Amino acid sequence: MSEHSDSGNGDNRFSEARRRFLRGLGMSAAAVAQPAWGGKTFGDAFADFFQKHYKRMSAEEIEETLERIKRKAEARYGVEIDCENTPPQENVVFGYAINISRCKGYRDCVQGCVEENNLGRDSQVQYIRVLQMDQGDSNLEHADHYYDPETVPVEGKYYLPVQCMQCDDPPCVKACPVDATWMEPDGIVVIDYDWCIGCRYCMTACPYWARHFNWTEPEIPAAEMNPDTHYLGNRPRPRGVVEKCHFCIQRTRKGQQPACLEACPTGARIFGNLLDPDSEIRYVLANKTVFRLKEDLGTEPKFWYFSD
Amino acid sequence: MPVVRFIIDGIREMLRGPREYWAWLGALSLVVLFGVWNYLQQLEHGLVVTGMSDQVSWGFYIANFAFLVGIAAAAVLLVIPAYIFHREDIKDVVLVGEGMAVAAVTMAILFVIVDLGRPDRLWHMIPVIGSMNFPVSLLAWDVIVLSGYLLLNLAIPFYLLYNRYRGRESNFRLYFPFVVISMFWAISIHTVTAFLFSANPARPFWHTALLGPRFIASAFASGPALIIIILQIVRQVTTYKISQSVIETLALIMTVAMQINLFFVGAELFTDFYNEGAHAASIHYLFLGLQGFDSLQPWIWFALSLNVIAVVILMIHPLRRKTLTLNIACVLAFLGIWIEKGMGLVIPGFVPTPLGEIFEYAPTSIELSVSAAIWAFGALIFTLLAKAVIAIEQGSLSYRAREHGQLG
Amino acid sequence: MSPDNKKRPGQRPQFSFGVLGSARLRLAAAFLLGVAGGAAVVFAAEDSVGSLPGIRFEGYPNSPPVSVVSRKADLFFYPCDQCHAAMEPNPDIRELNVMHVAELQHGRGRIWCLSCHDLENRNYLRTLLDEPVDFDQAHLVCGGCHSNRHKDWVFGAHGKRVANWQGERKLYDCAHCHDPHSPSIQPRAPKPPPPVRVGLELVRGASHERDSGVDRKEAED
Repeated sequence: MSEHSDSGNGDNRFSEARRRFLRGLGMSAAAVAQPAWGGKTFGDAFADFFQKHYKRMSAEEIEETLERIKRKAEARYGVEIDCENTPPQENVVFGYAINISRCKGYRDCVQGCVEENNLGRDSQVQYIRVLQMDQGDSNLEHADHYYDPETVPVEGKYYLPVQCMQCDDPPCVKACPVDATWMEPDGIVVIDYDWCIGCRYCMTACPYWARHFNWTEPEIPAAEMNPDTHYLGNRPRPRGVVEKCHFCIQRTRKGQQPACLEACPTGARIFGNLLDPDSEIRYVLANKTVFRLKEDLGTEPKFWYFSD
Repeated sequence: MPVVRFIIDGIREMLRGPREYWAWLGALSLVVLFGVWNYLQQLEHGLVVTGMSDQVSWGFYIANFAFLVGIAAAAVLLVIPAYIFHREDIKDVVLVGEGMAVAAVTMAILFVIVDLGRPDRLWHMIPVIGSMNFPVSLLAWDVIVLSGYLLLNLAIPFYLLYNRYRGRESNFRLYFPFVVISMFWAISIHTVTAFLFSANPARPFWHTALLGPRFIASAFASGPALIIIILQIVRQVTTYKISQSVIETLALIMTVAMQINLFFVGAELFTDFYNEGAHAASIHYLFLGLQGFDSLQPWIWFALSLNVIAVVILMIHPLRRKTLTLNIACVLAFLGIWIEKGMGLVIPGFVPTPLGEIFEYAPTSIELSVSAAIWAFGALIFTLLAKAVIAIEQGSLSYRAREHGQLG
Repeated sequence: MSPDNKKRPGQRPQFSFGVLGSARLRLAAAFLLGVAGGAAVVFAAEDSVGSLPGIRFEGYPNSPPVSVVSRKADLFFYPCDQCHAAMEPNPDIRELNVMHVAELQHGRGRIWCLSCHDLENRNYLRTLLDEPVDFDQAHLVCGGCHSNRHKDWVFGAHGKRVANWQGERKLYDCAHCHDPHSPSIQPRAPKPPPPVRVGLELVRGASHERDSGVDRKEAED
């Protein structure tokens, strides 16, 4: 059943590629084999424990934290990464729309996201889940999450990709007892992975099953690590915390498209600035028959669906 | 200092007893140690050692938590008759009840801690030095009310027992307001815990106004069940005087609470099944299975049968008065409610997931052993507290006795 | 997906002063269109009068500026007049015995090759009004019939924008995804289904065979 895992056979915690990589760097297996410390220095471990909430750190403290994250990634995965703290752009609130007539159920978006966002192959987190639905039926209980036919699209089905809706009135933000998740000014609901205590109340509160938990230490093959990371986004996360789609914050805050959109070959995905009246997303909202999932719950998702 | 002596004497009393006492403590400690060892496994590998998943992200730990908060709240069923209705017979045992509350709250808090993905970050919950999302987060509320309840149930008995130890009267005007606060606080801990679940429109199984009342009703049925059993054991192994009237009153409260609880269950079943919509998927899964998945079905019917048998026994006065049948009813009710309010409440909230997926859950052996350890630890705390409380209440442990060298 | 502008072996330079057909004037106008040398051409700036010289269609009101990803480097046979300049143009609709695209799976017989390709100069396409269209602006041809889709594409509700949501708006041309000779997109294998949390594979395994769309009531009977 673990043929879907990318990082080698189940029992073996370190992939072959990573072993070679680490050997090349002269790292001892022992230093990295202690998941709790990850080969950190005592100073780093101490600073980690007392690390403040993201919103309370000064610019200097954030810089130090970013450096520490880079060191941790080096020790844990043997890869040199870049970790930034790109701020939100002014007058930008992100919105997303999916054309469900165009979605063919390829799941290229899922794959693109896993690679871009350094999702743990062993913790088996996937931010996007594509549902195969029967034509004419919008009952999610009838959805097939694990469809695996010879080819897609299957006759008589349509496909509904679901991910974090970046709600404007997010129930997860209300639920979190330590304020580890909140909505940024550009509309992205983010998580401070170093503040989350792993109580999973936010996962209970989310009506879209968008939040995922690292039940184990995330395993990312060193060769597949994406080194361009953001503190609130795709930097390597620790075990025991919740994570979710963050609209590829490391890309979108720099004006780039999210990875799922880039990966989609049919152009079913549309992304942009809701505050820009000339944006594609605004055109879709004004000219297409859009709907949102579970509208009646009042969460105000910034993620729409339409068909044409 | 007398208060230091009080504490030292209390501890010494806890560590003094016949062979059976030590055998009991020893057995509990073994269970605790085994559980601690398993918890270390969990710390080593992460929560992957449990049976939880993204689909069912809360399991056996939180099930026990929800149940135990109810047990803790039920101590109020001794406090109210004792202090408001001036039942002297109940006042004699109220401190034993508060000992049970302390044990139950401690267990509840421990169950939350073992469920956390990052227990090393517990300090993040503390206001000011951490960042507590109060008043918006229900979990933040729960932490506050549970900690406050623990404090109240330690502080008030401490004050009363210390004065008893010193051989003097407690100042009624001083402690009574706190007793009243603790009555409301007891209701609040369980209401807040219910709101923790019912606040989620993402989970239709819980998103009902009835959940709060259901919690209180089932707490007031399962709590007295446990107290009745405990009081009989205390009566058996100590010379502490416990009037039968206490047990009869508790049995009566329990009967009414069970009836109300079953009525609530009936109301839920009717409301969900009469015109069955998508919101009824979880209760359908629980009672009838869903798309062939039905691992909880035998459990809930078993629990419901236990509850019905218990309430029938309790409603027949001669049976309620007879010790054997009363105890049977208590055990059945406690077990039935533990199943219904524990796994029968938490798991169906996650099945199906908000995206309609059915994914089942079963606790792993690590979860079971850690849970058993916490229960054993609670029993341990209660035993130790009760030992000291009884000795002080009976007067055999007092400052005067200490001064006259009458203590060991 | 971005085209590389490498020349393929044997490909002649794109601008040939060599053999000309009879419509020199038209060719000159078309040459002006292609003068950017394979680079993108800006189309339909908002409120501008006339989009491209020679084309009557002025674009949609209030449409955002768009540049189109060039495709000419990806076209194996381009420039087409390498062969066609030497061939006599034959406008009759007939069954063709050709080197490329023998069967047109587009329109169910309502169109044929010369509906879109310019008769006189094969280096260009044509609109319904017989205006020459550069291969890098092929969307103008598609939009002649598929106007709703074309409008969606211009405004961003269809197709794909390259690289950035901000800044210069560069779009993939229609033909980038839809082969105009058989535009429908064929089914292909999906990527693997989502994994189940490690250690819980058996929980899912029991229902892997389960059909989608099983009605709860049906399953009970």
